[in-house]
Amino acid sequence: MFPTPIEKQSRAWQISYQSMLPFALIIWLLPLIAVATFSIRPEADFVEGNYWGVPGSFEFFTNYGRVFFESDMPRYLLNSVLITVPTVVGAVALSSMTGFALGVYKFKGNLLIFFMFIAGNFVPFQILMVPVRDLTVNLNLYDTKTGLILFHIAFQTGFCTLFMRNFIRALPFPLIEAARVEGVAEWRIFWFVVLPLMKPALAALAVLIFTFIWNDYFWAVVLTQGPDAQPVTAGITSFNSQFRAAYHLMSAGSIVAAIPPVLMFFAMQKHFIAGLTLGAVK
Amino acid sequence: MHSIFKAPLAALAVASLGASAAFAGSHSSLSGELRIISDMSNPAPRAVMEGLAAEFDEMHPNLTVELEIVDREAWKTQIRNALSANPPDVVNWYAANRMLPYVNAGLFMDVSELWNESEFEALASTKGAMTIDGKQWGVPYTYYQWGVYYRKDIFEELGLTEPSTWDEEVANCQAILDSGRKCYTIGTKFLWTAGGWFDYVNSRTNGYDFHIALARGEIEWTDPRVRQTFDNWRQLIDMGAFIDDHQTFSWQEALPFIVEGEATAYLMGNFAVAAMRDGGLDDTKLDFYQFPVINPDVDFAEDAPTDTFHIASGATNVEAAKEFLRFVTSPDVQTRINGGDALGQLPVNAGASVSDDKFIQQGFDMLSNNAGGGIMQFFDRDFPAEMASVGMEGLQEFMVFPDNLDDILARLEDARQRIYQ
Repeated sequence: MFPTPIEKQSRAWQISYQSMLPFALIIWLLPLIAVATFSIRPEADFVEGNYWGVPGSFEFFTNYGRVFFESDMPRYLLNSVLITVPTVVGAVALSSMTGFALGVYKFKGNLLIFFMFIAGNFVPFQILMVPVRDLTVNLNLYDTKTGLILFHIAFQTGFCTLFMRNFIRALPFPLIEAARVEGVAEWRIFWFVVLPLMKPALAALAVLIFTFIWNDYFWAVVLTQGPDAQPVTAGITSFNSQFRAAYHLMSAGSIVAAIPPVLMFFAMQKHFIAGLTLGAVK
Repeated sequence: MHSIFKAPLAALAVASLGASAAFAGSHSSLSGELRIISDMSNPAPRAVMEGLAAEFDEMHPNLTVELEIVDREAWKTQIRNALSANPPDVVNWYAANRMLPYVNAGLFMDVSELWNESEFEALASTKGAMTIDGKQWGVPYTYYQWGVYYRKDIFEELGLTEPSTWDEEVANCQAILDSGRKCYTIGTKFLWTAGGWFDYVNSRTNGYDFHIALARGEIEWTDPRVRQTFDNWRQLIDMGAFIDDHQTFSWQEALPFIVEGEATAYLMGNFAVAAMRDGGLDDTKLDFYQFPVINPDVDFAEDAPTDTFHIASGATNVEAAKEFLRFVTSPDVQTRINGGDALGQLPVNAGASVSDDKFIQQGFDMLSNNAGGGIMQFFDRDFPAEMASVGMEGLQEFMVFPDNLDDILARLEDARQRIYQ
């Protein structure tokens, strides 16, 4: 069932694999390569139709300089941080508690509550667009970072709870029983026994949620507008003037916006992969 | 700055300067708060708007100007809400049919009495566009011209001159085609560019009044006069005058054709000039002419989308709002806000002066002196939104498959009967 490793295949197969791989990679990365080269092109290239040729001049410093010093980009980046970090903290904190409750206590409706958390994940979020917008408007949270953060926490907690509950279920239950026999209060069991054991799950979940929220575009557009509250994903379009799309600046902005999650991925690669599979098998 | 005052206009300007000085004395009595919501959210316009608010605030010591700037696109969906719940005093919007829903809903204030003041005679070119039911509902602060931007150097190479009639236009185009180039670049991917062509061919064939009547749904799309418009347009399409596969390009993606000399002209708004200059077309290579005459019996009508200020019908500080409208329409303010370092467009006030830019000057002259038919606001502003979207799809289809005309017109006529009821 599992594919045979390449080194065990015939030589002919290996050679064709090795020669095909670069092409596949290039085709797959083409959009990214295009964005990267667009970001160092002068504006004139786009007017002259020079999309794929050699850049007319090397404008790395001009374009990125304008992104950082002559636009609202730093503010949008800061917004992204101010939205993403509280969301990660909030969602992880809430879900480790719900996960603990659902994973450790046996009570009526436990499974029902758990299923409701899971069911929330299956609601396509486009359906929520209008009601959530109306809700934030009525709560006077429309176009504020708080509104976006609260919604993200609420929405992400469902998935996080599934993840945490399954992880806590997999912990050796005798540890908790032993603590109870010692007469330790429940909240101290959570804090001193369970939480330290959950560290890998907390790290994995934090990395995962960070990338989800940082890359969110949909809710950023639905719930916020303008540089006061909008995160960087939505702010990139502010390079466009009323009539013209500034492809070179949007590309440079996109690269800048993509750097934090990419860095996060490389720095925390181990946790990230763990995170993708952690909740999968109980 | 180069002034192109005409003598009588200069006199008018002087008179209105005196008048506004008089106002300044009498209106320091304005007090309270003036709330403005503006959609000038792009960087340069934003600076202009903030400057205007600050200046007006300073002119009236007892008045506090409170300015809120809303994203330009977002404003299109927010304006109704903003005008009905807790309305501000002054808002930005657009002229002509775009203001109709708000006028009908009673959300804009009738400002006809401002237009009766003598200073407003200098704004005559857009008076029609600001008028609904014989009353005026706002004031313009900026517009920009449309017209044919063409490659002067290629025209010279081929020995062509700016056409003033349709026959000359067609003859020029044939010469250009014979030289192995296309006559016009256009990108109809987002449809609206085709609307520009229809506005011009239709208004030159049947006149401004007919065009606006069609926009108001008073004329059938299957009318023989509408067909005449499409017949004229088809002349060019059948010649192969437009670039191939134009339905796959945005207006910006169609620029390389004129910049590289594969096409020689572009029917566009003046905002295209900055882009073409970036592409290396300086004033020796790029020039402008007014869309030529097709039917000599009708006067020139020009596309010049106009941006406006309005007073909300629920405004609380009406006196200050009116004074602000006088302020933004004064020749001095219109000159400054439309300058090359600000909006880079045309002042509507004929007494204003314009920057020393070939295209701005030609446009200002054209709109102030040679647009006797009227000022159109562009297809997607003159026609109701729904009709415009069906209409522009039809126009694009016509440009690609001109044989489908009967189908297209029948479909547009269906849409007209449904939309205007």
